[in-house]
Formats: sequence, C-alpha cells, structure tokens
Amino acid sequence: MHCPRAARDPSTAAETLKSDGRRPSPQEAASCGWTGRGGLPRDPLAVRRRRAGIVFTLPVVTLVGILLLYPIAQTVYHSFTVWDGITSHWVGTATYSQLFAKPEFVQVLENNALLVLSIPVAIALPLGVAFLIQSKLRGWRFFRSVFFLPTAVSWVVIAYVAIRFFADDGILQHLLNGVGLGFWHPNMLSNERSALIAVMITFVWSMFGTNLIIFLAGMATVDQELYDAARVDGAGSFTVLTKITIPLLRRFIQFAFIVTLIAAFTALFSLIFVMTSGGPGYGTTTLEFFIYEQAFQTGDFGLASTAGVILFLAVAAVGLMQLRFFKGED
Amino acid sequence: MVELRAEPEGRGWRHYGSRAVVYALLALITVVMLYPFYYMGINSVRSLDQYYAGHGFSLTSWRNLFHTLPIGRQLLNSTIITLSAIAIILAVSTTGGYAFAVLRYRASRLVFVAIVAAMMVPIQSIIAPEFVNLAHWGFINHRYGAILVYAALGAPFATFLMTVYFQRIPVDVVEAALIDGLGYGRIFFRIMLPLAVPAMATIAVLQFIFVWDDLLVGLLFLQNPDVRPITVGLATIPSQHLLDIPLLMAGSLISALPAVIVYLLFQRYLMSGLTMGISK
Amino acid sequence: MRKLIVGLVALAAVATAGASYAATSIGSGTVTLTLWHNYGTSGNTTATVSLAKAFEKTHPGITIKVVSQPTANYFSLLQAASISKTGPDISVQWTGLFDLKYEKFLLNLKPYFSAAEMAKINAVRYMAPNFNPAKGLLVMPLENQFYMGFYNKALFKKAGVKAVPRTWSGLFAACTKLKAAGITPMVYGADEQGIQSSPYPWYDMSYLMAGVLTPAQWKGLYTGSILWTSPKVVAQLTKWTSLPKKGCTNTDVLTKQNIVGAFTKGEAAMISDGSWDAPTYQKAMGKNVAPFALPFTNSGKNVTQYAGDGFSVMNYSKHQPEAVQFLKFVMSGPAQKIIAAAGLIPNVKGYRTKSPIQNEMLALAAKQGYAPYPMLDNVVQGEVVTAGSKQLDAAFGGDITPLAAAKSLKAALDALPASRKGPVYSG
Repeated sequence: MHCPRAARDPSTAAETLKSDGRRPSPQEAASCGWTGRGGLPRDPLAVRRRRAGIVFTLPVVTLVGILLLYPIAQTVYHSFTVWDGITSHWVGTATYSQLFAKPEFVQVLENNALLVLSIPVAIALPLGVAFLIQSKLRGWRFFRSVFFLPTAVSWVVIAYVAIRFFADDGILQHLLNGVGLGFWHPNMLSNERSALIAVMITFVWSMFGTNLIIFLAGMATVDQELYDAARVDGAGSFTVLTKITIPLLRRFIQFAFIVTLIAAFTALFSLIFVMTSGGPGYGTTTLEFFIYEQAFQTGDFGLASTAGVILFLAVAAVGLMQLRFFKGED
Repeated sequence: MVELRAEPEGRGWRHYGSRAVVYALLALITVVMLYPFYYMGINSVRSLDQYYAGHGFSLTSWRNLFHTLPIGRQLLNSTIITLSAIAIILAVSTTGGYAFAVLRYRASRLVFVAIVAAMMVPIQSIIAPEFVNLAHWGFINHRYGAILVYAALGAPFATFLMTVYFQRIPVDVVEAALIDGLGYGRIFFRIMLPLAVPAMATIAVLQFIFVWDDLLVGLLFLQNPDVRPITVGLATIPSQHLLDIPLLMAGSLISALPAVIVYLLFQRYLMSGLTMGISK
Repeated sequence: MRKLIVGLVALAAVATAGASYAATSIGSGTVTLTLWHNYGTSGNTTATVSLAKAFEKTHPGITIKVVSQPTANYFSLLQAASISKTGPDISVQWTGLFDLKYEKFLLNLKPYFSAAEMAKINAVRYMAPNFNPAKGLLVMPLENQFYMGFYNKALFKKAGVKAVPRTWSGLFAACTKLKAAGITPMVYGADEQGIQSSPYPWYDMSYLMAGVLTPAQWKGLYTGSILWTSPKVVAQLTKWTSLPKKGCTNTDVLTKQNIVGAFTKGEAAMISDGSWDAPTYQKAMGKNVAPFALPFTNSGKNVTQYAGDGFSVMNYSKHQPEAVQFLKFVMSGPAQKIIAAAGLIPNVKGYRTKSPIQNEMLALAAKQGYAPYPMLDNVVQGEVVTAGSKQLDAAFGGDITPLAAAKSLKAALDALPASRKGPVYSG
C-alpha cells in the first residue's frame, strides 16, 4: 500500500489531505500506522509535537490567564455586585440602571463621544503630511523620526507641558498676545467644554506621529506607476490625493482609525490625571478615568466594575471590527 | 495646504516653488512637535525667580529636583521594572508564538484566539479586581507585582506578533531540522530564536516605551515612594512643588529621556513593527 | 579550577552581604513607623516633621518615616493602600465626616485615652464615631484652624477702604473702591493645599451657610430637612457667584496658580484661605497683613473655627502600640509647643499660639462674640462635598447657574441611602 508522503508542512504531517485531495481512508490510515485514539493518527512525531506545543504555550497561557482573563471575568461578575474592595454582594442589573441614571455618567459617555469626533482630525492631518512626504522628499526619514518622537514620551510629561501651554498665563496666551489677540483669554482649562478640547488637541498632537507612520507605510505600498499614469493624464495633486491615494489607503485609514479610537478610550488616563484630574466638573472625565475615580476615590469597586464592562465592550467591539477587516482583506 | 494643490496641471508638486512651501510646512510641524522639549529644556535651567522673569540660567532647579524626589532610586526602579517586564514578555511570546505557528495541537487555535482576544482587555476594565487580587497575594509594593502585570498586558500583542513572524519562516527549515534529528526544543533555541531577533527587538522597544511611560499600574501597585518608577514619582510630586515649574520641567526631562533615547537608537525596529501589523 | 574559585568567592560575597543585611534587620530592635501626610503647605509639614524628630529623641528604638503624598490624590491612594493593607501605620485624616468615611480602617483609640485626656481636646466630638466622644476617638488633631480671610492693610488704605468689611454690602462697597484704585479686590485660583487644581469652594461655602443658618441647622443640610435648593441657600450662592461677575475677583478664578504668591506680592487686596497659611503671610507681609472673617452675611457675626485634621492609627498597622505612643506624644506639652512654634494654633486646652494673626482670630471668636462654626465640608457627606467641589466651582466660574449647582448638591444627597442621612452621623 502506498502511504502518502508527509505533507510539506511537517506540523500537520498526518492530518493533511493526501496529495490527490482525499482524506486517507481508515484502512490506509491503519496500515500506515496512523490511527490512534479517536481515529486520530498516532504519528510519534505528531505526538511529540503536540506535547511540545502544550509545554511551550504554558507560560503565556498561565500569565495571560491569571492576570488578564481571570480579572476580566471577575470584572464582569462584580459588575452585578455592590463591592467596596473587601466585601461584595450580588444585586443583579441594579448596578447598570444605577450607573446610567447618574447624570455624571451620561456626561462621561458624552465626553467619550466627543473624543471620537476628534479622530477625523487626528487622521486627516497625518494623512496630508504623509502625502507630502511620501518617500520621495529628501530628508523624509529625519522628519519621520522627529514627528514620531512624541510617542516615546510619557503622557505625564506631555501633560505637564500641556498645562503650561493652555494656562491663562501660558504659551498659548503668549502666542495670542503676540499676534494681537491678547484681549481674548480662552483660559481653556477652566471651563468644562474647552478643557476637553484642550485634551483633544493634546491627543491629536500626540497621535500625529503614529498615524503618520501608518500612512507612510501605506503610501509605500501604492504603485508608483499609478501616480505617473495619473499625472500623464493631467491630474493635479489634489485629484491624485482624493481619487487615487485615499481609496488605495482605505485599509490603512481604517487601521489608523481603530488605533486612534482605542488610544482615545484607553490611553489617556495619565494625561487626564495630571492635566485636569477629570475636571473642571466632569468635563474631562472619560470612561477610563471615571473607572479609576469610582474605584479609588469613591471606593465603589462594584460600580467601577460595571463601568469597566462597558469600556471593555466598547473596546472589544472596535477590536473585532479590526480583526474582521483584517481577515476580509487577506 | 489648499494652495499646494492648485498647481499648473501636469507638473505635479515637485515644482520648485511648491517644494519650498512643503519644506516650510514640514519645518513648522517640526517646531510644533519639538517645542515641548525646547520648553522643558530652557525652563529647567532656570531658578523659580528666573522662570518668572523669563530669562536667566541656573542649575538650582535641577539640584532641588534631586532633593525633592529620590531620582536615582526611581530611575533604578523604572529600569528594573521595564527590563524585567520585557524579559518576561519576550520569553512567553517567543515560546507561545513558536507553539502557535509551528507546534499546532488540537486546541491551539482556540488558545491562540483566547490570547489574542486578551488584547482587547483594557487595563482600566480589570484594574479593580487586579488590585484586589494582587493585594491578596501580597504583591503590592513589590516591584515583581507591577512587573508581572506589565508582562501580562504586553504578552498578547507580542505573542500575536511573534506568531505571525514565525509563520513566515519557511516550513523547510523546521522540516530539515527534524530530519536531522533535532527535537522541537532544540529547534526553538538553536534555529527559531536567532531568526526572531528583529521581531524581538521591535517588541522590546515598543514595550520599553509603554512600561517606562506608564502611570496607572505603578501608581496603584507601588505605593511607597521607594519602589516607585520615575514616571509615577513625577506624577505624584508633593503638592508644594507643583508650583515650581522649573523643577517640574527638570523632572519631566529626566523621566522622558531614557525612553526617548531608546526610541532614537532603535527606531527602525519600532517602525517595522508597527507596519508589520498591517502590511501583507 | 579558576571557575570554581570565582564561584566560591561570589558565593562568599553574597553570603556576607546577606548576613549583614539579616543582622541589621534582626538584631537592631528598632521599630520603624510610616506616616503619610498630605500637607502641601509648609506650616503643617514643618510641624509634622518636627514632631516626628522630637518623638524619636524621647523614644529611642522607634523611628518615624514621614512620607509626603500629593494632596490631590491622597485619599484615593490611602484607600487603595488600606484595602491592600499595605498602607502606613499613621495617616493624616481630616476630621468630621471625612474620618468617618474611613472609620473601618482606623483604630479606635478609646482604650488608650482616658476621658480626662479627651476632654482636653477642643471640639473632640468631631473626631469621634457618630460625633459622640463616649464612643471613642478616631483622630488626634494636630491643630486648631480657621477658614478665614486675609487682607492687605496698605492696599485697603490706598483705595480708601476704611473699615474691614463685615457684611455683603460692606464687601461690595470695598470692591468698588479697590477696583477704582486699580487693585484686584479678591484673588481666587488653584487651591493652595493642592486639594484640587481649581479653588476649593468649601472655605467660602462654610461662611455662606453660616451667614444664613445656625450651627444646629447645619444638621438639616446633612439630613436633607433643609434643602440645598432652598431660597436662603440659593440666595447666598447667587451673591457669591456675582463676585467674579462684578469684577470683585481676578478673571481666571478657576485656574490661577500661586494665589498665595499673588497675595503676598500685593497683587490683590483680599484672599480666602485657612489659618495654616497664616505663618506664610506673616513672614512675607509682616504687619501689613491682617485677618478677617469672610463677610458673606447680611448681619451675623460668625467664624469658622475647627480642628480640621490630625493623625490616626491604621488598624492594619503592625506596630499599633508604638503608633499610639506617637499620638499621645502629640498631646503632650513639648509637642504642643512645637506646634505653636510652627505657627499653628494648638488644639489642646491650655496652650497658646505665638502667631499674632491667629490670636486675632481667636480673639474674634472669644471676645467679639463671633459664633464658631465647624468647617462645612467636614460635616456634610463626602458625596455632597465632591459634587460641590466640582459644581460650586463651575458656578463660580460662570459655567452654570447657582441654582444648578445647588441642584447638584441636592441630587448627590438624594442619591444616598437613608442610613447616610439619618440622625446618626455616618461616613
């Protein structure tokens, strides 16, 4: 009996289809020594491989399981409880209704929604600059380096400088004074809405480099011939940008959108902590900061868990979108 | 930017005049991006009075900084915590990635999905039970508590990256090694690991920045100023010094510097890592 | 062979290091207490550090490690540390309902202090469970404090303000004169204690509520029998929020930094603050600065005098006897003298302060018949205080109406269960 050659991928040697596309019949499998428990092949190599696989995944599974997956299960559980960090008792969905009944929470959700509005700006600016630079401009690597630098800096540091920028006697005011607009005192950090805008501006500033890199990578995948063809046809730069580049970069734009959104929802804690402490009022309290406040200032771990579930669902939804179009594009 | 587009048809933006405009714009953006560093630098070398006056040079604020914060100690803490977390992340992500890419077993696909799904878990969502858990196990105020949490946070993405990376290695390599009689363990250490160095470098740089710059985990799990990393120390400066702007700027500079240096030295790994996630 | 020698040497080095470390920690017999404080301002910090040093001298074998935590997040850090039982042995607490909030983490000092000793503490009921001294003691106060106003004598003279304002009308009149002379009447800004990055409105709120309610009626604010939205309260809030609108204050009331500095430099004529900053003002302005009770009233005479903070022993401390010794030490004569020397008002009966400003305020209360009130934020629920800290500021800054701020206070109170606003004070 002809026993099929091992497939090209040794990791699935015995499970793959035969070279002619058929699964091995039970007789073939038996006489080639492949059957074992449950009809699966008992290829000693495969067994060794599987054992090694389990051993090699043990570290990551243990670490992530205990410190990431177990706590998220706990968060979900405790979102239905009243919990002060020491004792907890179950109250069911009362916590959710309690949370949504809080006017502060509604404002918190509004703040997150407003943050989302800043994302188009956070994408358009780097997109435009990436278009200008591409990989053609001399010294583009230097610019890329410089523009990405803020990503390496802690939000804590950025926050301290941002305070000095937006303060009433700060850099922004000096700039305004310099161009003759000194009568206008935006004093952005003292007002709920404008403080949030200040946070958004700082956020856009910091995300500039990350999104720029994404778009530069994207530009590199665009065939230069397409550009040349367009130019030959007489297209100006703006037409090239809108009709060719943007459609081709759609995937990258989507990716940048998701990266920026997740950052907006989960990476701003340090910025808010130092810059505004969530204030004035609840003006700059986003969902992630609200969770910290509830747990560690108010001491209501249960409500913090409830809010934590909502944040998790939001991030998971966005993340799933990312995976979905990943698969779709392959 | 609109004026750039209104060009003579057919000549494109490479026309000299517009090139100058482009460079000017880029220079402007450079200033905007770099201004904070300039601001920190120039104000940290002034005393408080000189800061209010707007000019002057003095190292008083730097000296005050070292008196206010245990800088040396906190820098050491940051280094220990960051490097240890990176070591653990690399260890678990390379082994895990190798297993998911090469050593597939019955449940491995499911486990892989679970690990990657863990990427969606934001630290804020789990901070409450995580804190209580660590308190029960006595991990609070010990650096290894924070190290493990950081490692767990970075592991899913790192494992995903390593899996993708290992999947790109041709199967012939492993096949040949198997034929040569190497065990899967040996294959990992002798063959896969050396090949994975660029990906490991990317992960290391990404995680260095993330862990060094983090606040939340350090703030809650390392409550004693002795074990605090520098970023947390900066954010929890005693209030009477919050008004000492030059001191704050000096502290900001020194806490930002290491991550910036790592970035400047290893930036190409960072760039390639970011694009690896989305390119074909 | 070389490897073996190197290995043995390394082993020996490690062993020696380990042995010496063990020796210092086992054989020393020293107990180290950790003390957390959130005193941003110099007077209290100086006093705390001096007290710790003096205590160490008289109690060899015990050292105190004084840790300064940022004021803005002090309580959340302390709470987190208490939940994980990794917090300090001694912590600074704010009295009144503040310490009742953390009652489950605080050691009740009843077994350690006799009734006679407790009687020597001014207004001791605010440091006891349910405000009832018979139930024990939770906080050993550091000092007696006032919420108060300070004014710049020279600037008043320059503007022709002859009498210190004692009522709303007097205040508005003084504002007009000061503005005409080009002087900022009152300066507000980021809280100097660092409690939050905007003004802490409860200094003013204490005087606002004292202006229209008796101390007994304040209990009504706690239980809700007197509504935060009642006309009297809202009228006071409206007058208060009119101060920035009328130009009685600087323009950036919510964000101005370093208001203490602005006042001492003579940029403004009046400032609302606490007695803990009196030493700073005294030192910077000498005879040019004087205290006054914030005149947020139509006719009454009232002053906010209160022992706002002190030390507590955490009940998870592993060195409770030693920690309690420190608290007892704070009551002693030498300690009270240290407190007075730091420019603070001793809170134990029988001890005096040296500071002229403080004595003036004490005289107001004692001789001029000013009714003493506690600090309002220490006797209303924490949730209301938190809501007020944000919304009262928003109203002061002109973002929302005074009525809206009052409504948010009421809403915070309404959201609480009955046990938190009943006849029994609970944190």
